[in-house]
Amino acid sequence: MTRLALALILAASAADDWRTTERLLLVRQIEAQGVKDGATLAALRAVPRHEFVPAALADRAYGDHPLPIGHGQTISQPYIVGFMTEMLRPRPGMKVLEVGTGSGYQAAVLAETGATVKTVEIFESLAREASERLKRLGYKSVEVRHADGHFGWKEAAPFDAIIVTAAAGYIPPALIEQLKPGGRMVIPVGSVGGVQNLILVEKDAKGEISTEALLPVRFVPMLKGMR
Amino acid sequence: MRLFAIEHFHHFASMAIGVVMLGFGASGTLLTLRRKMAGALARPFGNAALLAAVLLIAVPAAVELLPFDPTQLAVDPRQWAWLAVLEATLALPFAAGAFATLAALAESADRPGRLYGASFVGAGVGALAALGVLSWLEPVRALATPAVLASLGAIAAAAATERRGLALLSAACAAVATVCLALPPWSLDITPYKALSQVEAFPGARRVIEKSGALGWVVGVETPAFRHAPGLSLTYTGEFPAQTALFVDAQLAGALTSWTADSFPLLTALPAAIPFALGSRERVLVIGGGEGIEVAAALAHGARKVVAVELSPDLAELQRGRGNTNVVWVIGDARSYVARTDESFDLVTLGPAGGFGASAGGLHALSEDYLHTVDAYASYLGRLRPGGVLAVTRWLDVPPRESVRVVATAGRALGRERVRRGLLVARSWGTVTTLAKPDGFSQEELARLDQWCRTRRFDIDWRPGDLEPPVPRFNRIADPAISRAASAVVAGTERAFFDGYPFVVEPVTDGRPFPHHFLDLRRARRLFAAGRGEWLPFAEWGVLALAAALVQAVVLAGLLTLVPVAVSLRAAWRPGLPWLFAYFALIGLAYLAAEIAAIQQLALLLGHPVYAVTAVLTVMLICSGAGSVWSDRRGEGAAPTFVLAAWLAMYAVGLLGLAHALQPQPLGMRVAASVALLVPPAFLMGTPFPIGLRALAVGDPTRVAWAWAMNGFASVVAAPLSALIALEAGTPALFALASAAYALAALGLANRTRRRPQARILQDP
Repeated sequence: MTRLALALILAASAADDWRTTERLLLVRQIEAQGVKDGATLAALRAVPRHEFVPAALADRAYGDHPLPIGHGQTISQPYIVGFMTEMLRPRPGMKVLEVGTGSGYQAAVLAETGATVKTVEIFESLAREASERLKRLGYKSVEVRHADGHFGWKEAAPFDAIIVTAAAGYIPPALIEQLKPGGRMVIPVGSVGGVQNLILVEKDAKGEISTEALLPVRFVPMLKGMR
Repeated sequence: MRLFAIEHFHHFASMAIGVVMLGFGASGTLLTLRRKMAGALARPFGNAALLAAVLLIAVPAAVELLPFDPTQLAVDPRQWAWLAVLEATLALPFAAGAFATLAALAESADRPGRLYGASFVGAGVGALAALGVLSWLEPVRALATPAVLASLGAIAAAAATERRGLALLSAACAAVATVCLALPPWSLDITPYKALSQVEAFPGARRVIEKSGALGWVVGVETPAFRHAPGLSLTYTGEFPAQTALFVDAQLAGALTSWTADSFPLLTALPAAIPFALGSRERVLVIGGGEGIEVAAALAHGARKVVAVELSPDLAELQRGRGNTNVVWVIGDARSYVARTDESFDLVTLGPAGGFGASAGGLHALSEDYLHTVDAYASYLGRLRPGGVLAVTRWLDVPPRESVRVVATAGRALGRERVRRGLLVARSWGTVTTLAKPDGFSQEELARLDQWCRTRRFDIDWRPGDLEPPVPRFNRIADPAISRAASAVVAGTERAFFDGYPFVVEPVTDGRPFPHHFLDLRRARRLFAAGRGEWLPFAEWGVLALAAALVQAVVLAGLLTLVPVAVSLRAAWRPGLPWLFAYFALIGLAYLAAEIAAIQQLALLLGHPVYAVTAVLTVMLICSGAGSVWSDRRGEGAAPTFVLAAWLAMYAVGLLGLAHALQPQPLGMRVAASVALLVPPAFLMGTPFPIGLRALAVGDPTRVAWAWAMNGFASVVAAPLSALIALEAGTPALFALASAAYALAALGLANRTRRRPQARILQDP
């Protein structure tokens, strides 16, 4: 092996190590902010977030803020991803519906917890890219579909948990219907273009719905200057 | 200002005034730095005029390239730098224009009134012309108009000084500017935080409607992925009708919906339907009818007559086009309609998007909103028939702020006696509806409401007869502040509640009409310390942006105006100079404070800030111009300024009351009254500057430049400072401040001129 090739390999793995360190630091920060669920934290540590952002932004992948992923969409702030995942009470074997695949990062995190993920994305190119990326990284338990999330995913219903990452002024009835008794849904709702609330929706054993308002969020479509 | 309002948010529009003032102040600095003064100012005058025209074209284009994001001001320090760059860049064309004016003034300091007056009058006419142009052209095209006018000014300057080269260049500039009217090189770069950007990003989105007017830029977007059903009950399982999203100034304002006979189940599952659980409501008043939902809900529940008040004529026309003869559309502002109408209603309703612009969380903290003050709610209650009810729905904000204030305001409007049986609060998973019924809720009505809410899984956070805040059954919320607030209001202990609450939630009056303002500096520090600082900026950044603008104004203006003055001062120090500085600073502060106070109070009388700004700017500038000219001939000493101070003191006490009295009049009368009220003080407000120049700076261009610079600095700082004072202390206090500043300046002037009798200036033969 030539010296150059050796040097490159060493550099690459050093970069990888550096990214892993960054990731671990980020997760520790998220833990300090209140996310305590072991499965969630382990999943956040395992998923290489930098693979889910555009190459030019890879160096910023482990900051606790959202980043643009093209087509006017973003990958969510890691703390919010951790918070929402924890809210779902992830455990192996769970069937989860995600509305708003985006980069696929959230789906990957859920897959790491042992769940089977069906994820829906309204933007065709994003759906395709996410699907390829997840396949490449080896997340076999995630299936991506290009569709309007308002209708959920009837064929795969019912779901143990539903997670929505697109803000709206109402909660789609189909999602309520496709939630299993005993299931949980986390969804940002409120005025479009303003501040939303993250709502936890629970369906009890009898099928009755109750909600809890969690915290204010702002799901941002894109950051200025980074088109 | 309109572009700022669309591209960013309303409060950045007020920054525009400050920017202009910055330009003015900086031009004074430029002049002090020039060595040669007398006689050689004709050339720079012409050049400056041309430069202004060129900059008016180039600067908006340059500004588009700046990556400024106002919502990150509290967390990203670099945004402060960008804000400064933005302000400085925007100030350039105004600096050039002001330099031209200043050069002329310095040349003829013996009769400053004429020139200052001409500049004022031009500005006044310009303000009026701006409104006219905006009604006709979209804001992006209208932006070229100042460049055209400035070029014409440069041409005039060239003609006056017989400079061919300048004339040709100016003509070329005018031509380019005219082309820009038709083919604007700038584009509207809307912040992605606004709803229009988000909805247009959906696949298949098409812009199907676009109308421009002075009162707002209305856009309609069709996309299958958009559905508008705010607060829809989770028990609804049916279909959604086809909808076109409607935006005013890029914010979501409602939807055009093709309601069908099948839509009834949907309409009866919305928070807008809560009041109908009490029984039929035959006559309904919808404030903010352009949104669409409340009107549709009223019709679906069998209302015989619906009056829909909508400020935006375009929005009203679009909704009216859906055609229903039971709906009477009133185009205009709601407060005026409620004040003048004799009609009474079974239901008066305000939705979460009521009024101009949607309620987009705390982003409107700085906007005056006269629809949600105690005076407003009291006037709505006054329009109710026996058994009538007022319903106000807001998005649930976490932690509750706006919803708490609505409860407190409704409680205060009802009054101690009626609130015990007349206040009810219902909450869905995402909205809070407050019902105020002066005649009280009967047991039967309460039972019906209970049943209605239970089937839709809405909680009742407070009902008459509750001794304790009830525990929610369906929608949990970490802090039951809404129930606690209602309980406190009914028990009469709301003072203690307000003091203990982490946000400012007291009801607001017409004197301090900022119902979306929840933060004061004391509480802000506490909140940041508590560690929830990360999300707070999203919700309340309006006030922080204003504070940032104030700090920046002081720094920027200080650098551009004060420092050079200080430098050039060393050589020319005289005793009595501090008085010069103080005088011109005080009148600069007072002028702007009075202007902003007038704008805010007249926004109530005229119904929309755009009308208020136009009226105030036009009248004030033209009349101040006239006052300036008059002061050349007759104005001497401090007397006019004392009279002015007294007049403004009168307004501090009585203008708001006058506005209330005049509200029932038709718009034309109200405009006439506003003009009449503005003319006397505006006329007088044109006199202190020329009088001061003649008394304190006669024959000395350096002093003139210093006066100009101090005046400019004070004006820049005064803009955000006045806005903050209005926010914290109310608009009458702002008038009082202006009055005091003028009085102080007048005192100072009287003092100076008594000690040193001024030389008489000979008039031209």
